[in-house]
Amino acid sequence: MTPLIQLTGVTKILKGQKTPRTILDGVDLTVHSGEGVAVLGRSGSGKSTLLSLVGLFDRADDGQYLLGERDITRLPERKAAALRSAEFGFVFQRFFLLKHLTAAQNVAMALVNGQGWLPRRKRRAKVLSALDRVGVAHLAKHKPPKLSGGEQQRVAIARALVREPKMLLADEPTGALDTETGNLVIDVLHSATKDGCGLVLVTHDWEHASRMERVLRLEDGQLREVAV
Amino acid sequence: MIRLSGRLRSALIIGGQGMRARKLRTFLSILSLFLGVLAVVVVQAGAETARAAALSNVELSMGKDGTLETFLPGGSKTIEIALDTVKDRPNVVLSLDMQATVGEPGVTTLNPGGAPFEHAGRGGGPPAGIICDFQGCWEDPNAAARPKPQGKAVEMRVMAMSADVRQFREFRLISGEWLNFSGSPGLSPRIVLNKDAAKFFSTYQIPAEMQISGATANLTPRIVGVVDDGMMEPRAYLRMDELFNWLQPGALANASAQMLLAPEAADVMQILKTRLVAAGDKHAEGLNAHPVQSAEMVEDQLSLLRWVFLGMAGLVLLIGVAGILNVGLATVGERIEEFALRRAVGTPRTLLAGIVLAETLLTGLLTAAAAIGCAALGLRFARGFLAGQSASLADISFPWQAGVAGIIAGLIAGLLGGLIPAIRAARIPIATVMRA
Ligand SMILES: Nc1ncnc2c1ncn2[C@@H]1O[C@H](COP(=O)(O)OP(=O)(O)OP(=O)(O)O)[C@@H](O)[C@H]1O
Ligand SMILES: [Mg+2]
Repeated sequence: MTPLIQLTGVTKILKGQKTPRTILDGVDLTVHSGEGVAVLGRSGSGKSTLLSLVGLFDRADDGQYLLGERDITRLPERKAAALRSAEFGFVFQRFFLLKHLTAAQNVAMALVNGQGWLPRRKRRAKVLSALDRVGVAHLAKHKPPKLSGGEQQRVAIARALVREPKMLLADEPTGALDTETGNLVIDVLHSATKDGCGLVLVTHDWEHASRMERVLRLEDGQLREVAV
Repeated sequence: MIRLSGRLRSALIIGGQGMRARKLRTFLSILSLFLGVLAVVVVQAGAETARAAALSNVELSMGKDGTLETFLPGGSKTIEIALDTVKDRPNVVLSLDMQATVGEPGVTTLNPGGAPFEHAGRGGGPPAGIICDFQGCWEDPNAAARPKPQGKAVEMRVMAMSADVRQFREFRLISGEWLNFSGSPGLSPRIVLNKDAAKFFSTYQIPAEMQISGATANLTPRIVGVVDDGMMEPRAYLRMDELFNWLQPGALANASAQMLLAPEAADVMQILKTRLVAAGDKHAEGLNAHPVQSAEMVEDQLSLLRWVFLGMAGLVLLIGVAGILNVGLATVGERIEEFALRRAVGTPRTLLAGIVLAETLLTGLLTAAAAIGCAALGLRFARGFLAGQSASLADISFPWQAGVAGIIAGLIAGLLGGLIPAIRAARIPIATVMRA
C-alpha cells in the first residue's frame, strides 16, 4: 500500500547564525492511512521543525518528500498553500484561536481561506458537524476567552478536521492542558485515524505516545523507532 | 471565475471581521484621511463649478463647444447664394454683421465707434468718471459736473440672422422676449438689444430709427426684448427676412457674413462651397468651417489653477495617508499570529495581502463617502444662504466630477496606506510564528 506521506533523508540546516547548524540530518518518516505516529524527543531536538516541513510551512534543504505518489519536495508557495488547505490539518500547543471570532467562525476560518468556496449554509453544516465530532457543538457561538483550555483545543481540532484532511499534524497539543483534559484531546485526535486520517503527534508524554500505532524518537537530527 | 469570486468573497468576509473587531482603529483611520479627501472633493467641486460658469460665458459669446463656424467673404452675390443654401436648414445660422446707428440722424453718436456704455463719449478710453494720464488713473472729482455726451444716437453692431442663433449661443433673456423665428416675417423689423445697448436706451431718449451703414433707406425697428449675449459692447439682433423687407441684399455690400453650423450639418459647407465655385468665386475653394473650441479654451484658463489647488489638497491627503499607514503597520504587527495562522490553514499570501489592502481601500471609500456627503451638505447649505444674493449661484448643483475625485482620492489613499502593511502581511513566516 502507498503511504500517505513518505519523507526520505530530509535535512534542515539552520542558517542565519554565524555557523550553520544542522537540525534535521537525514530524517526518514513514513505515515500510512489510519495510522497514528508519535514523535518524542528532547526540547530543542527539532520536533517542531520536522512538523513544519511535513506541514509545508517550510522547505527542506535536502531529501525527498512524497505525498501519496506525488513528489512535493520543491513546491511553489501557491501550491503549498492549496495543499495545506486540502490535505493537512494542524493543532498547536497554543490553540491559536482568534479572540474576536466565535468558535464556529474560528472553525469556518479553514473554509473561508480563498481555496474554493462554500455557500453559507453548507459552510455552517460542515462547521457544526466538525464541532460535534469533537463534542463542543453547543459552544459554537462562544468566543474563545470564555472557553476552557480543553474546549479551546477541541475547537482548534475541529478547525483542523473541518476540511477532512488526509494528515493531522499536532505539535504538543496537550502541553497546556491538565492530564485528564489532555487524555480527552488525544482521544479525539486518535479517533480521527479511524476514518483513514494519518496523524503525527509530537509530545513529551510517554503515556500519550504509547497510544499511537508507532512511536519514534528524534535524536541527533534522526528519527528512530522506539519499541512500545 | 468561480475561484476568483471565491477568493473575493473570502477576502470580504475576513476583511469585514477584521474591521468589525477594530472599529476604533477604522474610525481613527477614517478621521486621519477625512480632511485630505474632503479637500480634494472641495477643490474639484469648486473647479468644476468655476469651469461650468466660465464655459457658459464663453459659449455665450463664442458658441457651444463643437459648433462649426465659418466666415464668408462679403459681397451680395455670395450672401444670396449662402442664404439660398441654408434656407430650410434649421440647424445652420447665417448671420450678417453690420454697423448701424440707431437714433437721431446726422448727429455725433453717444459712442463713436460703437464703444460700450461705460466708455461712451470717451473714444474707448477708461470708464466714465475715471481720468487717466501719464501719471496714472484716478477718479474724476468733477464727474457729476461734466456734460453728458451729446447726440441721441447709438452706434452698434447689428446681427441679422437666417435662423435662431440661440441654438448655438444660449442668450439669457433679461426682459421682453426673444425673436420668434417660426412665424412669417413682420413688416416692421423686430430687434432684440443686448444689455449694453439697452443701457443707452434706458439712459437717453433715443428714437428708434435705424441707419444701417451702406444702406440708403432707414428703418424703424420695434424693440421686443433685451438679452445677455456675453458681449461688452452694444449689439442688436434681428431676423434677416424682416431686414430684407426693407432692404435689398445688394445694399449690404460691406456686411460681413458668419455661418454657424451644428456638427451634423457639416454637409452644408460642402454644398455651399460647390455652389460658390460654380458661381465663379475662386476663393471659395479655401473656405472651411472650424469647430468652436470653447471647452478647450476654458480648460486652458483654469487647468493651472485647478492643479495648484489639487496639489495642496494632495499634500493634506498625504498626511492622511501617513496616518492610515501608521495604523495599518501597527495592526499588521498586532495580527502577526492571525496572519500566520491563516497562512497555515491554506490562505494564499496574495489573498492576505489583498485583505489588508481591501481593509484600507474600504476605509478610503468610507472616508470618501463621508467627505462627499459633507461637501454636498455644505453646498446645499451655502446654496440656501446665497439664493437671495445671486441667481446664478443659486442653481449650482454638486458636480459629479467632485464625487468621482473624492472616490479616487479615497482609493489612492487606501492603496498608498495599505500597500506596505499588505506586503508585510504576505511575508509573515508561518514556521517562526507557530513554533510552540
Ligand atoms: N527560527 C529560528 N531561529 C533560531 N533558532 C531556531 C529557529 N527555529 C528553530 N531553531 C532552533 O532549532 C532547534 C529545534 O527547534 P524546535 O522548535 O524544532 O525544537 P523542538 O524539538 O520542537 O523543541 P520543544 O520540545 O521545546 O518544542 C532549536 O535549537 C531552536 O533553537
Ligand atoms: Mg516544539
